[in-house]
Amino acid sequence: MEKTKDQQKILFQELLMPELGALFRTALRMTRNREDAEDLVQETTTKAFSAIDRFEEGTNFRAWIFKILTNTFINNYYRVRERNKLPSLDEMEEESAFQPAFEGISPEQALLNTLTKEDIQKAIDVIPIDFKSVVVLNLVEGFSYKETAEILDIPIGTVMSRLHRGRKILQKLLWEYSSSKNSTEKGTKEEWTAKKQ
Amino acid sequence: MDCKEAVEKLYLYLDGEILTPQERKDFEEHLRICRKCCEKFDFEKNLLNLIKSNCLDTPLPATLVNKVLTVINSF
Repeated sequence: MEKTKDQQKILFQELLMPELGALFRTALRMTRNREDAEDLVQETTTKAFSAIDRFEEGTNFRAWIFKILTNTFINNYYRVRERNKLPSLDEMEEESAFQPAFEGISPEQALLNTLTKEDIQKAIDVIPIDFKSVVVLNLVEGFSYKETAEILDIPIGTVMSRLHRGRKILQKLLWEYSSSKNSTEKGTKEEWTAKKQ
Repeated sequence: MDCKEAVEKLYLYLDGEILTPQERKDFEEHLRICRKCCEKFDFEKNLLNLIKSNCLDTPLPATLVNKVLTVINSF
């Protein structure tokens, strides 16, 4: 039997509310702006409810609504000029020369100790969108490679390669943020290792 | 499994993806005997957890819940 509008609203609300936090934080990482993130989530809600007849009950609502969110972002919020503002990928993927240096602990542990929430969110915010969307969906929101591929409408192989490069860019940025905070004893990883020996 | 193969499999293992039970076992066995790979794995795992926990810790604006309910009720 077909559902009434009110029954549809109740079902939709039950499915949507547990995902609202995840939708908002993903929207925030993508738009980099709280106001736009709220607008994006509202717009996603409008589109999703308008298309609720096409959602098959019992299937993956989370992946379905994230697909609407990412499509809405790309179509309505992401501008070509933003792509042009970004540094080149080659530049972003270069191995970082700077590593935090502390006596008695490894550069890796020093990195983990010095990073703040602001550093991590800032680094994700500046990753180019194709890589950021995979990083956020997979690493933060825990979607599988297959789900991420379905949400973004790209092959699994592309998810894997973008995730690999996204991780590389993210790590480079995090090393740089951490190093800049420890400039009193800054050095390359090699210098640190040599000093330790 | 050697170091080269372990490094190739590291992210797949970490992401809980695509490894067969035998590959998982071989990977874990390699970490037990190779300190360098074990340290790399621990670093990647800790960094991933740090990224995840700091991103998940984003409060939902109280006003957004009401805005979304208003959207649904407007239909």
